[in-house]
Amino acid sequence: MKTPKENFPVELAAAAEELSEYLLAAEPFIVYKRAQNHFSADLQAQRLLEQLSSLQSSLRSAQSNRNVSETDIQQLRGLQNDVRQNATIMEYAQAQQNAINYLREINQEISQLLGLDFAALARQTTC
Amino acid sequence: MIHDELDELEIAPPDVVRQVARNFAATLSETRQFMDFEAAAERLNHDQPAQKAIADFQTKQQSLQMMIRLNAVSPADQAELERLQHAYLSEASVVDYIQAQQALVAICQAAGEIISQAIGLDYSASCSASCCG
Repeated sequence: MKTPKENFPVELAAAAEELSEYLLAAEPFIVYKRAQNHFSADLQAQRLLEQLSSLQSSLRSAQSNRNVSETDIQQLRGLQNDVRQNATIMEYAQAQQNAINYLREINQEISQLLGLDFAALARQTTC
Repeated sequence: MIHDELDELEIAPPDVVRQVARNFAATLSETRQFMDFEAAAERLNHDQPAQKAIADFQTKQQSLQMMIRLNAVSPADQAELERLQHAYLSEASVVDYIQAQQALVAICQAAGEIISQAIGLDYSASCSASCCG
């Protein structure tokens, strides 16, 4: 639901922007952004994730037709192992998870003061 | 490795970030929409006829849970369920509560969107077990 601009308090927008600035300056987000930049610059890592995603997608389709071979399974496990061994991908994934965990702490701080779960209130309705 | 490269001056101290988060919460709690919602919730909580109408609907709904899951509710039960739902939705304090809740959700979604766009992560999805609750 989009709120008309005249109903959106200016002070709240300013407070949201200030919170955003400080979140970006928090260590978990600085680390996350740097890991994200490393990943964006690493074409091999990106290709590896794309290959894994593509294989998982095709195997899901094959599975519905009971058409998954042992070779397919081994290929999947091989790619999964390659992803686990890729330092750029692992660093990015860990940094993202740490940023998410930090965001949950911040949400708890906000929600405790409000007496309501802010993240639940802010949830976009489309899934 | 990355931690060694961080310039301490670039990092916002955790206590400061938490205080800014509390400031955000305080600002939200002072909005008209938040105060209207709290007032509507208080009125609804103390409105005994409305509370009874809600309870009657929930009791009926719970008694039909299995049939609802099977999509096998009888026409009579369906009609009764709809009658009870209409009854509680017609209560003034319920209408006020729903409207106040929608207004509050709208500004929280807008605020969440500001934060999500800035940080590059979906704020609500990150804080939920799943994107659908």
